[in-house]
Amino acid sequence: MNTTDTASSLEASRKPRLFRVPRNVHWGLLGLLGPVTAFLGIFFLMPLVIMAIFSLLEPGLYGGVVWSFYADNFGRILGWANGPIEEFDIVYLRILMRSFRIALITVALTLLVCYPVAFWVSRLPPRRRNFCLFLITLPFFASLIVRLYAWVLILRPSGFLNQLLSTLGAIREPIELIYTETAVLIGLVYIMVPFMFLPLYASIEKLDRQLIDASYDLGAGRIATFRRVILPLTMPGIMGGAILVFIPTLGNFIVPSLLGGAKVLMIGNLVEQQFLYARNWPFGAALAMLIMSVVLALLMLYVRTTLKRRSPRGTAAKPRTKDRAEGLT
Amino acid sequence: MSKLFGLLRQRFLTAYSLLFFVFLYAPILLIVGYSFNSNPINMMVWKTFTLDWYRSIFGLSTQLGENALYVESTDQLLAAVRTSLVVALTTTLFSTVVGTLTALAVARYRFRLQSFYRFLLFMPMVMPDIVLGIALLIFFVSVGMPLGTGSIILGHCTFLISYVFIIVSARLAGMDTRLEEASADLGAGVWTTFRRITLPLIAPGIAGGAMLAFIISMDDLVITYFISGVDATTLPVFIYSMIRRGIKPEINAIATLLLLASFVIAAVGLYLRNKQHSATPATTEKDPNDE
Repeated sequence: MNTTDTASSLEASRKPRLFRVPRNVHWGLLGLLGPVTAFLGIFFLMPLVIMAIFSLLEPGLYGGVVWSFYADNFGRILGWANGPIEEFDIVYLRILMRSFRIALITVALTLLVCYPVAFWVSRLPPRRRNFCLFLITLPFFASLIVRLYAWVLILRPSGFLNQLLSTLGAIREPIELIYTETAVLIGLVYIMVPFMFLPLYASIEKLDRQLIDASYDLGAGRIATFRRVILPLTMPGIMGGAILVFIPTLGNFIVPSLLGGAKVLMIGNLVEQQFLYARNWPFGAALAMLIMSVVLALLMLYVRTTLKRRSPRGTAAKPRTKDRAEGLT
Repeated sequence: MSKLFGLLRQRFLTAYSLLFFVFLYAPILLIVGYSFNSNPINMMVWKTFTLDWYRSIFGLSTQLGENALYVESTDQLLAAVRTSLVVALTTTLFSTVVGTLTALAVARYRFRLQSFYRFLLFMPMVMPDIVLGIALLIFFVSVGMPLGTGSIILGHCTFLISYVFIIVSARLAGMDTRLEEASADLGAGVWTTFRRITLPLIAPGIAGGAMLAFIISMDDLVITYFISGVDATTLPVFIYSMIRRGIKPEINAIATLLLLASFVIAAVGLYLRNKQHSATPATTEKDPNDE
């Protein structure tokens, strides 16, 4: 329905909205939305459009760009050989695959770490529960770089862990902890934990205890109850947390550059190199476009599945789980 | 027998959770501890308690030898702190105003592009930092805008507006619109209603959004890293490049001070929010359907 129609028809009786809409022009609305439209239009949408254009331009010999269409930036990611000097090389593809693998493992590990704790916290008495939630949220506000620095201190050759192990007599000489994929994973899990915990906790707290009891009463064992009652009911939290962890992990370059060194490069490091050292901006832009499209595709998938779950047609989701719980006999 | 297993399982879960909290806090406490260690050669080996690292970052006289002073110049550090504060305060002010205006528009009007605006404001929050960072870098260089404090401020605002928008929107959604209607019925104009009814009611949301914007701006590393140029360095970028050059005891002291500052701000913010939550929704707390 048209806004003006609604406004003018109601205007006669009373003023239903805070900002009474003038007859035709929504001056109030324009005033409220003007700043954000101008700002995000110029400093958010336009940069993204320019980046998209750059990803299709030819890189200049000494940095900079040549203004001609050039699709090989994307081809190069896949190992496409371009020009007489370059050969078929899947080094970028390998880094890409590693980034996906690391991001997926990080999601799995944060889930593994957070799920039991979220259960434990949800069963605490209110005061202690709030305190625990406070403790989990607090690191989220602490400086990211400081929290990662802590792990540099712990994992480096003369670091805390090596000192501890040699004092205990477990090792003779320092073992290689930092600059490994494990170190990168530890760092990523450490900074991503709050992103997984909070959505997970939200869905676990809402869990209806009676459904679990019903499942036990009807003869289902612990594993069956978990797999067929608890897991489906907490799936929204799991999916939400997975999305929130996966997105920032995929393009992360701070963690691999501090804890992975030159050995464990991720796609984010590649982007950084192209912009700050190799000065091949079009290739860097193409890599960034790739990260962005993966993220957008995932988000669209996520929004569509959650909307389906919430839409009137999809309200069957909750009763269906109940049915399943009842059908366990 | 099954009761015994239940107890064991409960014990295991508790132990697991306590380990989780150790995992969260031990690394942070480690830095704090080391920042007071006087051993200049190996900071992992405890020698004696000292405040010298703190003194040295502020350029005060210490008992350390000349060669133990690692922060190239205290001026650099203080300049980074100053840049960070200027950026954070400016972005907080701007993004709080714009974010609140947008939230008011989306919550109190019905218009055709409403879902587009929700989407537009959602985007900067989910855009990976590195993508936004390089998009802004290309943009600033393409339009010929010099990189520096100005570009950092503009860059931070692109995503901080969204955070303020989300928090103020949540507050507006939970607000009783009948109060505004009553005010209008009693003859108050648009401006008076806003100033005397809406604003006081959403003020906690605005304050919360502003606080979040300030913290995120102070902490942002990736986007700042790309668009800061050579002249302006914020504190996180300064620490990042310091760590990359090598581990020095001063970093512990700087990190500890930074942790202290962000924990104090966050704790005050969370405390105020909890207080409000327990103070305002008296009706929902007594709701029998709640549990």
